[in-house]
Amino acid sequence: MTRSARALLVVLAGALLVVMAQSRDARSAGAITAKEWTLYKEKFLDPSGRIIDNANGKISHSEGQGYGLLLSYLADNRGDFDRIWAFTRTEMLVRNDGLAAWKWDPAATPHVADTNNASDGDVLIAYGLALAGAAWQRPDLSASARNIAVALAAGGLETVGDLVLLKPGNSGFAASDRKDGPVVNPSYWVFEAFPVLAELVPDGPWREVDDSGKALLAASMKIGVSSLPPDWVSLKAKPRPADGFPQEFSYNAVRIPLYLVRSGNRDRALLEPFMTQMPDQKGRVRIVNIATGQTRQLLDDAGYRIIPALVSCVLDGTPLPDDMRSFTPTDYYPSTLQLLALSYARRHKPDCL
Amino acid sequence: MKPVVFIAAGVALLGAVVLRDAGYFGGGASIPDTDRPATGNAQSEAGYSSVAQQAPATTAPAKPNSARAASPKVDETALRYFASKGDTKRLEAEIARLRALYPQWTPPENPLAVQEVGDLQLDQMWKLYSEGKLAEVRKAIADRQTAQAGWQPPADLLDRLAVAEAREQLINASNLKQYEAVIRIGSTSSSLLTCGDVDVLWRVAEAFAHTQREDRARDAYLYVLNNCKKPEERIATVQKALPLLSRPNLEQLLATEQKTADGKGEFSAIRGDIARQSLADADADPKLVVAPADIATVKALATEGGLPSDALLLGWYYVRRDNPKDAEEWFRKAHDKEDTAGASQGLALALINQNRPAEAEQILFSWRDTNEDVRRVYLAAVANLLAVTPPPPLSTEVLQRMVQEVYAAKDAASAQQLGWYADGLDQWQTAAQWFKLALDWKPDDEPSAYGLALTRWKIGDKAGAREIQAAWAGRSERIPTVGERSIETAAVGKDAGTEPRARQPVIQSRPEDQARTYQPRSNRNDAQASPRARAKRQNRGCSSTIDPASLAPVAALTRGWCLMEANRPVEAAAAFEIALGGSGKTRSDAAYGQSLAYLRAGLSDMAAVAASKAPLDADRRVQVQTALLEAQATTAFDQGRYVEVLMALDERSRIAPERTGLMVLRGYAYLKLRRFGDAEQVFRAAAGTGNRDALKGLNDVRVTRDAKIQ
Repeated sequence: MTRSARALLVVLAGALLVVMAQSRDARSAGAITAKEWTLYKEKFLDPSGRIIDNANGKISHSEGQGYGLLLSYLADNRGDFDRIWAFTRTEMLVRNDGLAAWKWDPAATPHVADTNNASDGDVLIAYGLALAGAAWQRPDLSASARNIAVALAAGGLETVGDLVLLKPGNSGFAASDRKDGPVVNPSYWVFEAFPVLAELVPDGPWREVDDSGKALLAASMKIGVSSLPPDWVSLKAKPRPADGFPQEFSYNAVRIPLYLVRSGNRDRALLEPFMTQMPDQKGRVRIVNIATGQTRQLLDDAGYRIIPALVSCVLDGTPLPDDMRSFTPTDYYPSTLQLLALSYARRHKPDCL
Repeated sequence: MKPVVFIAAGVALLGAVVLRDAGYFGGGASIPDTDRPATGNAQSEAGYSSVAQQAPATTAPAKPNSARAASPKVDETALRYFASKGDTKRLEAEIARLRALYPQWTPPENPLAVQEVGDLQLDQMWKLYSEGKLAEVRKAIADRQTAQAGWQPPADLLDRLAVAEAREQLINASNLKQYEAVIRIGSTSSSLLTCGDVDVLWRVAEAFAHTQREDRARDAYLYVLNNCKKPEERIATVQKALPLLSRPNLEQLLATEQKTADGKGEFSAIRGDIARQSLADADADPKLVVAPADIATVKALATEGGLPSDALLLGWYYVRRDNPKDAEEWFRKAHDKEDTAGASQGLALALINQNRPAEAEQILFSWRDTNEDVRRVYLAAVANLLAVTPPPPLSTEVLQRMVQEVYAAKDAASAQQLGWYADGLDQWQTAAQWFKLALDWKPDDEPSAYGLALTRWKIGDKAGAREIQAAWAGRSERIPTVGERSIETAAVGKDAGTEPRARQPVIQSRPEDQARTYQPRSNRNDAQASPRARAKRQNRGCSSTIDPASLAPVAALTRGWCLMEANRPVEAAAAFEIALGGSGKTRSDAAYGQSLAYLRAGLSDMAAVAASKAPLDADRRVQVQTALLEAQATTAFDQGRYVEVLMALDERSRIAPERTGLMVLRGYAYLKLRRFGDAEQVFRAAAGTGNRDALKGLNDVRVTRDAKIQ
């Protein structure tokens, strides 16, 4: 293909995306209020453009940068979006394959101490870029999103049986890397992102990844007695909790139902355990021992509690309790989850509010 | 002033590896899409000097040969800003950059006199930019575009911002050794590659070198040398290239050398480094051929500057080239300047390789605890020293300290040699103890087991010998044959101690002390009880020169031993000749003494005659005969009669164990007879004791055999 022909194709594809994205944009813009975003960024966004995990040594990670891009897009704050992207690009997109180094530590020299990637971070960054590129007609963002999606498809996937799976990181998790490999993390499937990536790279494997993620999730939910999936799953043989990680439904997996709901999924078989098993009687989120089904810990932050509540609302129409509707930033992770949940309800399930 | 920015050449530099689709700036609206005219352009491969004069690769409208009519419209925003802030460094860089972009543009006489634009927000953006807060510039631009529809930032700001971001990204990738990323980023941001930021050029060159594109790395370094002027950066460029480029490519860099004000070549110091590097490489790879010029350069440096490190480099070079004599010379120079562990270690190695283990031991003793390497060399000196045949005179002090080190290091090879050493002095109890220790430390050490069986047999501990024989049945051919020798060596064990002094004429000063000294520590008490330890030394002088003919036979005998101790064997032989005039034991002792004296003097035929002049008791007969056969074998070898070497050694091995040194001799005899399999087998057995000659022999077998095949 000649350069000009390829360029033309890129232009056409860009135009198509703009058209497709405008409907999405119309519902997304302003889904997070300016006030919420200000509260969030005052606590978690460094002026240099990095999202700070305040509960975790003030480090940053590719996941956080991805969330930052997504939330600033949902808040329609282009300035903050651009600075988060500038930091992500110059500091983290430094791998040979074009994916993001997963961890950035202000106390380390160089700040990137481990050049491995984290596939959920890459998916979130590409997703945020793709949304903003289309909505704000920024072909540079769309092109970067596409590059990441292509690079991730090239090196970040692994086929197990007939499933096309996201490796948690490009190195360290495959069958050849560890005894119980392949090991996967079901919460790395940001389900809402895959249709967008599939639009961006039509010949990419993203629909298969999407479908495989749901199959993986269903299988993982059969491992334990409480029908909740473990954070880390070994697929060497019959799915089981991976070695070397807590054998728990825990901080990773709590976001799975949020991703399902936000992607528009209403599959009761998949969602119901998160409504019935995930919270305790007071609505607090349980960290659950996979083998026994017993509660290891209870998470009381509104950002966690809103997740089973949102499932309950989309399945059964139970409105979100009042205390979850207002946003007061606590720690980076639950605060992020709460804004994702609130913004979804605001635009797609207003009767939950 | 010539432009110092060479964008086009920078692009050419990267031309072959541009990965258009991989760049994050590809198609970016915020970054001018340069279309990179030089990238895929054949002329980009032309010489850099001409490329450097080319029009830049940006969208700049002006070309040098295009009409001078309209002077280019140059965005001087940044210039004004830096001038107003008194930031001269950035101001100059901006002037240089604009000159390269627009060759016909002349900077304002006084940038400060230029009117302020009065755009405070833009001012703020430039301020953030100059503070390196790039992400915040991005935010400020986006915020203003949101608030002020249709506002466009100056192209200059976007351009500079993109370059600065790419620079950060490139340096981060470079620090993380993500070399493909470095090249990708460099290729999509070619205006990074300028003399104004040589560090980036170095990083790109390094990335090429680490991704098997050495010629491209060389081109990058050459680009700096052909275009950039700062002396310290030019020198640093060659230094950076030094570990990354092959010699021919380095020579291309050196060819760009310019003279400094004082008429010296700017790279003269580096040439020294390169010669040093060349020698250091040769140390790591013994097959590497070093140019004589490099050796001469380092020799000159070592002599002029007198750095011990240069002398050391030469020493190691020669050690690896099997030239221990020259190695010794340079190590000694280094050692004389500064007695360090390294210099001593090298010197000791050179001495060991010249069969001067005693000196090696002496030099390295005080450094023996420095590290594992040094200790290994020290122990090698010890093992080699003990393996010398006939056993050399060793002072009590040296023997004692060697024994302590061997014991502390649990060094089986040296313990075994101590065993043979004691055996050679007929101190079988002690020998057996050392063999036992060697075997404890290295249970599969066949030579030690053999030594243990043999010495136990000699002591008369047949049960003990059989125990070893049983344990090694099927694992060793020679151990089971101990005690079956044609000459009944076991018999001599019985009267061990009856005539301790007389049986040990070959050794030096104070055998009784030695017996105690190199006793294994754990058995020190036994040593006190051994017959050898009780022996009294007859200490009579023989320093004066007298005619032995004037002496009575008994006195002549005493004088003969004394002269032997003084290592004056020819005179000793004459004294023994007089003693042969005695009778009985005196005559027998004299015959024995004379044969040893002739042996020591290298006159083996006469030694054989002397031995036959009077009947010798069994163990003396064995001792003389082994020595005779040994001498015979050596002589035969020197005269190229290799079959006779084997015959003599075979005969000798029937009455005494074959020492490692003789096994090596045997190996070379086999090798000369082209019996490669036999040679290899015997060298391998000897090499098992850590003997360096045997290791060399193994290699010689391989080389000779390979030569044969070819």
